[in-house]
Amino acid sequence: MPGPELLSTQGLRQDGRRPNELRRIHCKLGVFTQPDGSAYLEQGNTKVLAAVYGPHQAQKSKASTEGVVVNCQYSMATFSTGERKNRPRGDRKSQEMSLHLRQALTAAIKTELYPRSQIDVYVEVLQDDGSAYSVCVNAATLALVDAGIPLRAYVVSCSASMAWRDGRPEPLVDAARTDQASGGCLLTVAAITNTGSIALLEMSHRLHMDYLDVVLSRAMQGCRDIEAVLNQAVRDHLAEGWTKQDVVTV
Amino acid sequence: MPLDYRRFNGPEDSVSYKRFTKNYIRNYDEIHKELVNKNGVRKDGRAMDEARSLFARTDMVSQAKGSAYIEMKKTKVICSVFDPRETPHQNEFSQLGQLYCEVKLAPFSCPRQRRPHAPDAEERALSVALRQALEPAVCRHMFPNYQVDIFVLILEHDGSCLSAAINAAGLALADAAVPMYDIITACSVAIIGEHSFLDPSEEEEFVALMSPENTETNHGVITMSTLSELKQVSHFTQIGNLDVECVTNAIQTLEQECSKIVPNIQKVLVSSVTKCFKQKQRLDEEAKEREAELDAKMEEWKKKLKAG
Amino acid sequence: MAVKLLSETEKSFITYGVQDDFRSDGRSNIDYRPMELETDVVSHANGSARLRLANTDVLVGVKTEVDTPSPDNPGAGKIEFFVDCSANATPEFEGRGGEQLANSISNMMQRAYHSSQAFNLKQLCILDGKQCWKLYIDVLILECGGNLCDAVSLAVKAALFNTRIPFVKAALMDGGNVDLQLSDDPYDCKLLDVGSAPLLVTLCKIGEKCVVDPSAEEESCSVISLVVGVTGNPKNYCTPEESAKVAEGKAKCSAISMSGPGSVATKTLKDAINQGIVAAQSLDSALGHALLRERKENVTLKKHSYGFLK
Repeated sequence: MPGPELLSTQGLRQDGRRPNELRRIHCKLGVFTQPDGSAYLEQGNTKVLAAVYGPHQAQKSKASTEGVVVNCQYSMATFSTGERKNRPRGDRKSQEMSLHLRQALTAAIKTELYPRSQIDVYVEVLQDDGSAYSVCVNAATLALVDAGIPLRAYVVSCSASMAWRDGRPEPLVDAARTDQASGGCLLTVAAITNTGSIALLEMSHRLHMDYLDVVLSRAMQGCRDIEAVLNQAVRDHLAEGWTKQDVVTV
Repeated sequence: MPLDYRRFNGPEDSVSYKRFTKNYIRNYDEIHKELVNKNGVRKDGRAMDEARSLFARTDMVSQAKGSAYIEMKKTKVICSVFDPRETPHQNEFSQLGQLYCEVKLAPFSCPRQRRPHAPDAEERALSVALRQALEPAVCRHMFPNYQVDIFVLILEHDGSCLSAAINAAGLALADAAVPMYDIITACSVAIIGEHSFLDPSEEEEFVALMSPENTETNHGVITMSTLSELKQVSHFTQIGNLDVECVTNAIQTLEQECSKIVPNIQKVLVSSVTKCFKQKQRLDEEAKEREAELDAKMEEWKKKLKAG
Repeated sequence: MAVKLLSETEKSFITYGVQDDFRSDGRSNIDYRPMELETDVVSHANGSARLRLANTDVLVGVKTEVDTPSPDNPGAGKIEFFVDCSANATPEFEGRGGEQLANSISNMMQRAYHSSQAFNLKQLCILDGKQCWKLYIDVLILECGGNLCDAVSLAVKAALFNTRIPFVKAALMDGGNVDLQLSDDPYDCKLLDVGSAPLLVTLCKIGEKCVVDPSAEEESCSVISLVVGVTGNPKNYCTPEESAKVAEGKAKCSAISMSGPGSVATKTLKDAINQGIVAAQSLDSALGHALLRERKENVTLKKHSYGFLK
């Protein structure tokens, strides 16, 4: 069953990447002063802003004695996609995304530390060029780190798609819009990489059981790669941030 | 947005048959020239700086605490004000009472198009403007954490509907005995070129909002509401494109015009109060008569009883 | 609006400061805070701009669509404003919390752009009575630090200045329908004439005086503010060579409105309008200057980027 032509004869994708190559990651922590933590993350042309407020006293209806309630809101700017969106949030898709985001982040946050409290995580997709959910998870993780909220580990998300090359399956990591254009499958995984545990796994379209393993392991590899980048960014930010803060206090 | 499926909604984009009549297809200048003749008399026979005659009365809606009806020729507005009630869906205590305003244009009110049932952007903007205008006039500290509901229904829209709504709401608030600092009155003016139409009709407003071909011409509509005893402006909106001098002059004329309306409103209020008193007196008298009658009957019975 | 918690003493400090023409951040009553403006930041939009006014952060994207003109105005295009208050700014905006504020801003913008002298919709016409461009101006408020109206209007004007509308290569008439062929080349496009587009200036009445560009703290000290929309001068938006051909535009009021629970005296109102016009004129020339410089840099040099969006 030959799939759609996602790879050129040289084995490159439409945007020129190799199958196991991530998009360029650019990130910045602490972009805003009002939220407790904020981050801006760019993976290729997908651009996401995340802000974290909290932990603060939970709303009465939401409070739980077990641990902190993670309240997420996923919204997409009306100009973020090729076709204009009518509503930035509140539609089915963004509600689902909010739930998924919450699931992934709850896995990473040490929720038991803050009973009866609430952490608000707001992500805003400024530009969507594929794998927006993954980028949102990564941006939210960075914002949580910036807010100083205790995490078990980074939760990192990556997507993978599948193409065929010389009759053999070739998974594509970090799928951009062009990689999904011809209706290939899209597998999104959010994982805590150092324990190898998966916080969320989602797949759309059809994929043969035999190939699931290959695609999943490629996505997990992508997660590990992204984590290294994010980790470096956090370290850089802290090193830079301390000096900046010193200047301000002086 | 929940849709009302039971109601028959017409097609969203339909074109009025009037568009194909001869009168419709005219250019800006023709319509503009028609509004005022050489002697400076408007289409409906008014002078440029002459407001329409005002008819106002209170006590229109028996269920409401206070209500008012205002008619400026073809602009007809009814307003009802309800008792203060605890502000719903509020977590925090608010020191000042809230005003909740809702302006509704009746579906048949506008000459140009049929109004939808659900509140549209224009109605929402009118509601916000009305609240803004009324807030400084009401002693809101007298009813903390409570809200007063004000509903305005525009039965017929022939221009200056915001100022009519403000006038009616001010009268209805006074009628409902809501404590207020001053009588609130409002007036509009439409400006086209060097002409300024006081208290404009719908047609004049419409032309004033159309963009003239000459890019230098002033055009626009201004609405202002004042508390004339306190000499305060409680609301001011302008739309169109006007020079500063033009705006400043308009403020002057509107201020005068607003204070002209005050005695009329006062008269209506006085007459409604006297009417109220008279009614009370009459009721008291009636009650007394009845009591006297009863007493007389009692006496009669007592006599009969004693007589055995 | 996000309410800042201020004590009574803090409020009176600000209020008395303003009476002496001295504000808590060192400005005088007619000073604006520093601004950061960047255009062409969103690649999915036809035009975009990001403006940061101290702590207020606004992102504007302009998208174009082909539409049929309204029967009342067959020769003109359409323009629609949509403001979205992102929850990133404050948790109060979560869900539909920011809708009221967003509506009031978009309403004000729509009114300010109503007159054809402020923004000529005729330039959006493709085929008279058949096809026109519809501009969707989407404003995303990322952070609120006071004075949203001014920031939004500046960013919108910058985004419109940056907007490129593709040329129509061919139009096929097929019965009553029109089939348009748009140019695929991203450089084959026309720019909009936005010189006279209005800017909004908020004048916040604190005590007896009016200040421009109120911060969030100052906004919470005031009970009434006046928003004045003033049309721009097209001369500010063209290079010196072109400017000889362009007529001088007079600053006119395209919209005025008041917000807040208070009221003002007539004299204050008149003074405030005059003050607003003066402020708008200098803002307009500063904006034109910055935009022209950025356009020039885009042509000659590789673009530097300053904000977090790059």
